[in-house]
Amino acid sequence: MSTIVRRGTRVQEGQIRFHYDGREYFGQPGDTAASALLAQGVRHFGRSVKYRRLRGVMAAGSEEPNALLTVGTRPAVIPNVPAPRLTLHEGLVLRSQNRWPTLSVDLASLLQIGGGFFGAGFYYKTFMWPNWRTYEPIIRRLAGLGEAPGACELPPVAVENCSCDVLVAGAGAAGLAAARAAARAGATVVLCEREPVCGGELEFEGGTIEGRESLNWVAATLTELAGLGARVLTDTDLVGGSDGQVVLHRQRGGIAGADTLYRVRPRSVVIATGAVERPIAFIDNDRPGVMLLGAAECYLARYGVRVGREAVLFANHDRVYAAAARLAAGGMQVRAIVDTRSASTGVGNSLRAELERTGTQCLSGHAVIAVEGGREVRAVRVAPLAGSGPERRIVCNVLLQSGGWSPNTQSGAQDGGAREYSPGLAAFVAAEQPLWRAFAGTANGRLELCDVLADGQIAGEHAARQAGCATGAGAGAVTAIDARGDGAPRLVAFWRSPSPPQLEKKQFIDLQNDVTVADLRTALAEGFSDIEHVKRYTTLGIGTEQGATSAVLGAAILAELKGVPPGAVGISRPRAPFAPVTMQSLAGLRVGSAFRISRRTPLHAWHAAHGGVLESSGLWLRPRYYLANGPDAFTAGIAEARRVRATGGIVDGSTLGKIEVAGPDAAVFLDSMYLSKASTIKAGRGKYMVNLREDGMVLDDGLVLRLAPDRFVATTSSGHADHMLSHFEHYRDTQWNGRAVTLTDVTEAWAVIAVAGPQSRATLQRVLGSAWHEILTRLEHMGFADGHFQGRDLRVLRASFSGELAFELHCRPGIAVTLWQTLNDAGLGPYGLEALDILRVEKGYLVSSELNGETTPHDLLMDGLVKLGNPCLGRELLDRPGLHKPARPRLVGVRARDGRSKFLAGAQLCTENERTHPVGYVTSAVFSPTLDQWIGLALLARRLGEDTQLLARDPLRGGDTPLRIVPAVHFDPTGERMKQ
Amino acid sequence: MSRLHCPFCGPRELREFRFHKTLPTEPGTAFAGIYERIDNPELSVEHWQHVEGCRGWLRVTRNPSSGAVLETRLLGGGVA
Amino acid sequence: MRHYSAWSLLRARLAGNSHWQPLWSGQSLQQAYDVVVVGAGGHGLATAFHLARDHGIKRVAVLEKRLVGYGNVGRNTTIVRSNYLLPENHYFYEDSLRRYETLSRDLNYNVMYSPRGVVDLALSDDDFPGLARRGNALRLAGIDAELMNISALERFCPELEPRRSRRFPILGALVQRRGGTVRHDAVAWGYARAASALGVDIIEDCEVTGVRTRGEVATGVETNRGYVQAERIAFATAGHTGMIGTMLGVPLPIETHLLQAMVSEPVKPLLHTVLVYVAPGHAETYICQSDRGGLVMGGHLDGFPSYTREGQWDRLEDVVQGAVELLPQVGALRILRQWAGTNDMTMDGSPIIDRLRYDNVFVNAGWCYGGFKAIPASGAACARFVATGTAPDLIKAFRLSRFATGHLLDERGGGPFPARQ
Repeated sequence: MSTIVRRGTRVQEGQIRFHYDGREYFGQPGDTAASALLAQGVRHFGRSVKYRRLRGVMAAGSEEPNALLTVGTRPAVIPNVPAPRLTLHEGLVLRSQNRWPTLSVDLASLLQIGGGFFGAGFYYKTFMWPNWRTYEPIIRRLAGLGEAPGACELPPVAVENCSCDVLVAGAGAAGLAAARAAARAGATVVLCEREPVCGGELEFEGGTIEGRESLNWVAATLTELAGLGARVLTDTDLVGGSDGQVVLHRQRGGIAGADTLYRVRPRSVVIATGAVERPIAFIDNDRPGVMLLGAAECYLARYGVRVGREAVLFANHDRVYAAAARLAAGGMQVRAIVDTRSASTGVGNSLRAELERTGTQCLSGHAVIAVEGGREVRAVRVAPLAGSGPERRIVCNVLLQSGGWSPNTQSGAQDGGAREYSPGLAAFVAAEQPLWRAFAGTANGRLELCDVLADGQIAGEHAARQAGCATGAGAGAVTAIDARGDGAPRLVAFWRSPSPPQLEKKQFIDLQNDVTVADLRTALAEGFSDIEHVKRYTTLGIGTEQGATSAVLGAAILAELKGVPPGAVGISRPRAPFAPVTMQSLAGLRVGSAFRISRRTPLHAWHAAHGGVLESSGLWLRPRYYLANGPDAFTAGIAEARRVRATGGIVDGSTLGKIEVAGPDAAVFLDSMYLSKASTIKAGRGKYMVNLREDGMVLDDGLVLRLAPDRFVATTSSGHADHMLSHFEHYRDTQWNGRAVTLTDVTEAWAVIAVAGPQSRATLQRVLGSAWHEILTRLEHMGFADGHFQGRDLRVLRASFSGELAFELHCRPGIAVTLWQTLNDAGLGPYGLEALDILRVEKGYLVSSELNGETTPHDLLMDGLVKLGNPCLGRELLDRPGLHKPARPRLVGVRARDGRSKFLAGAQLCTENERTHPVGYVTSAVFSPTLDQWIGLALLARRLGEDTQLLARDPLRGGDTPLRIVPAVHFDPTGERMKQ
Repeated sequence: MSRLHCPFCGPRELREFRFHKTLPTEPGTAFAGIYERIDNPELSVEHWQHVEGCRGWLRVTRNPSSGAVLETRLLGGGVA
Repeated sequence: MRHYSAWSLLRARLAGNSHWQPLWSGQSLQQAYDVVVVGAGGHGLATAFHLARDHGIKRVAVLEKRLVGYGNVGRNTTIVRSNYLLPENHYFYEDSLRRYETLSRDLNYNVMYSPRGVVDLALSDDDFPGLARRGNALRLAGIDAELMNISALERFCPELEPRRSRRFPILGALVQRRGGTVRHDAVAWGYARAASALGVDIIEDCEVTGVRTRGEVATGVETNRGYVQAERIAFATAGHTGMIGTMLGVPLPIETHLLQAMVSEPVKPLLHTVLVYVAPGHAETYICQSDRGGLVMGGHLDGFPSYTREGQWDRLEDVVQGAVELLPQVGALRILRQWAGTNDMTMDGSPIIDRLRYDNVFVNAGWCYGGFKAIPASGAACARFVATGTAPDLIKAFRLSRFATGHLLDERGGGPFPARQ
């Protein structure tokens, strides 16, 4: 347990207890897992995935490639959490990854012996005998980073929609300047920052801005922004979006938990997301103790953690000297500074002299070529880059390196944005951008504090103007922000130290995926020279940190190996999301029971309360059967169907689509949409109508009711209601150019109760009252009448989907339950979809099983409707010869030849002598209680005669059933029953 | 591309709209209108519906290579 | 071609990188070829390979605008299966799956065929007849298919927890065990290497800009690197097929749409099959776990024509919603990358392999969602067609005239609306 209280910008006094790999540790409030463990001398945070090499912490942010931990206890673990981003809280349980049985003794690390064997793409060249499947299970277990979660216990994400004039991503110096400039210009501003606190590098760099200490300036700017109404979101990444919509993801504490997903609609966007410090490749540069220089500064300033006692610094720019001074002031012993540049000049030199006085060895024109120490850094080997000076060995326990900075430009490649190589910066910077998006500060390649602030301010003002906000009289004439910070870095590109070829396999580029310089050489030797090919072949830059530290380094080393400038190699294209986003957050509110809406009919509660077994039918929930009628769908369905034919029953048909078609041209419009004419329907009558898709296939069928000369209701099948409305609207607005037809979806304005059975009329006459008595007697098939029930609208339509005498009651939803209950009390029991299906198959009526988008009206025995010659939509293409060939299907009825065997929908139909080439299939099959046998509808090649002996072949569920062909109407072919 | 400008409702998010079909550049027979396309990667004339808005049908002219929307017109008028 | 094996890896360990040779390269563009294949994606490379291997055609070039395998062959979700409904499709895709089973050894390149099972989930009783119809058709054609009830599914795919309460309950599935995944890039690279070894010239950064003709015969192609004479020309340009049609003045029943895929961070094995989930109000999610450990997901098309290769955020969300609904335990995993390919969508959802305007110009296109799984069969059949001038039976139904004659291959009954296919 640590006894010294550390001080830093982010830690407070206090003690937090947590566990790492089974041991107890302590941290302070504000610590991350990385800072607390480093403070207690922990160097090992996991093993690499391919070579199982021990790894430590390299970075201080989400760019960390190595120190990924599994958090929590099984089964709801969260894997691959970067330790430097994980804020500690009491009782946290952490585990290192890719090791078995323990981190220090790992069986698979024996694989290191075969290091060269497992180079880039090795798996493409072996594991072929006898087949890949033999090896795959082992390979899969070895790959894959963290533990697989067995459960997820995250609360649902919060989703927030908002808009603003200017969105600024990144709250470092540039972002703050940009946000302030925009807010001062009157723009509404949202400022998002990945870290839990604002300030970026100002947090440790020191310096002054506008006469204040940097950190005070940050605080003052945030206060001013708050006063101007700007919104600041910390712990928040910009993850995606394009013109008009940007998606932000807030994840507090660096781990999935109480996440928020913001959809922001900004008018303009400033990207000020800074840059990532780059490592340099040298031998064994992956050893625990090799870290980024900026990371060491972060740990010191934020958490008061010295990442090592004795440090060697390795860099290619002037900033290293100021950093060394700050680290020394923080109590670290800087043994040496290894500068790859041959002569350092300017500000570096005065600092350098001072550093040398206090015992720091400063070597110019040198490079660290290797690290010594098997399990962590014990010393580094340094050699001169030119000439043949002596190689030195410098003892240290941490090597801090800085190879320059790669601007974070991932979010600048979409919507026509481009990136280009900047030789001065030795990195890729944003190039041409759309008007609404600008890069600023370090993200825009500026490195000196004055430039960064000025760039931010200009970008902020530009963004405000772009958003239509006045920027005052001073528009265009930017007041420079007075600031003093670290000087120009004077960087000279340096990517990797010299190495004998056989040791290039220890010069790591992508530490997470164990991609080395040797792998790039292999890729080149095998002809993969384009960066996109190299990325795919070697897995360079595809890790959880999205290549933050490896993409530019890899591109540059590839360029070196190819002998071309880095700009000629380019950089592989970044892909959204620009920061990893939790799947639960992407799913948003659509999780669990809210995955998709549930549509409920006005009778839903009644069904649920009366044993209705509700099942999804599309988005609707509908009763399949009622438990009172049997324990399962099969038994209950038969009982319900039998009762309908014997006496009667009621079924909830409210899901039926209903489109009201009105206006002077309504009739002519409908004529053009259906195979038969609507204009011949008399008011007060309905008609069964069929319409076609543009290619001549049957789209839907339904009843069209004429309410008045200029008013119709077209009913559609439940599943087609939405599409049919769009379809109608499309043709009205294109072919018809908006002529006098209005289309209104009235599906949910009317509940529908279908009343079927021999006693339906009599019961209705009893229930509906005397006003309806006479009407019900007179009502002919397909006739309807409008009236009232208990003072509310009621339409009674005589139509049947069961073959029985039947009526559809279209009533207002408010009285549906009363009406239904009254009918139920009067002796008409409810039936569900199962019985509905039995009744309609007995009658050969069609549903989506037959109207499946593959069938023409001829296939479905609607030749008569086609012959009417109505020139409706879809007719023209119906004449194509292929739609009339003998192999086209025709609707038939089928029954078992023995009169009792079972067969099911989905069985394929074959003839006795062609048992493997189906000639059709069973579309629907039910057990008919009326006929006391299995009956079905089928689509069968029309070349076959009615006496063909068929086999229903159903190898999936059983065997073969000999079938015979019968008319598609199994029961009451002349329709006597419904004419009663 | 994340928005369409509905002439009736103004700029709205793409998720409110549903693409229906591209239009042939030279409308000929019914067959051509349904099946044949002359591909132009710089120009696509399409029918969209503002399904979760005014339900208007739109004729949208776009550049499918850049995602830029060049023109949006309301079809029909939708009024009796 | 240097043979790959464990021994070769060991020798390379001793000899260093000098042991390895380029998989393909070194060829310079010649002035004339027997066959010019346009497009070095899976289909183009496989066609070239079979032209050289099966038909002994010596002078074959594959001209590629950008890079070998840069298009859809490297942008898909790696799923292979042959469980199509229509006989014209399932016999074809079965031929392809059988070729995939032995492809690693045929090409001496490990394409990592992983027959882990493709599971089409049933969410309601009404789903079973459709799945049974397809599965029975497959079984009668000698293709493996199983219809699983919930208990069988629970045994086959316990990680799915089929009995968990969901908005749409899972009731069973149609399973093709031989379906699974294949390492996508390896297919392109393996064919390129094998074709190159047979003398095929694979020319990258070579864009075809026109076709030169004399009367009713094409004589060659114009490219950014000059004119190339060709006895026969075969286009396999996927999402750019519409442009080829325009180049030749032939309207095609094809629209180019975007299809996205995405991958999560890698974790240890979590999902052992390929799940296909289509729910009401949700377009589609198919999900598997790569050997590297990432969950690879895809869904429906973005929904409108596009060449941008920048997928719509809304579609990303739709796919992930399906994945989290299916496997709630993955909720805390993070999506790392999304990408998109341009798909050549036809008006009936099935492919087109036919002559295009000229007797010696062929087009291999319209692969919709099925391009990757079709590569081995398409390459072999297309090569035979180009070499002999006669379309093999396997692809006869894929002719271009079928739209005009009404001999449609509408696998899903979606009609002439590519965005809905």
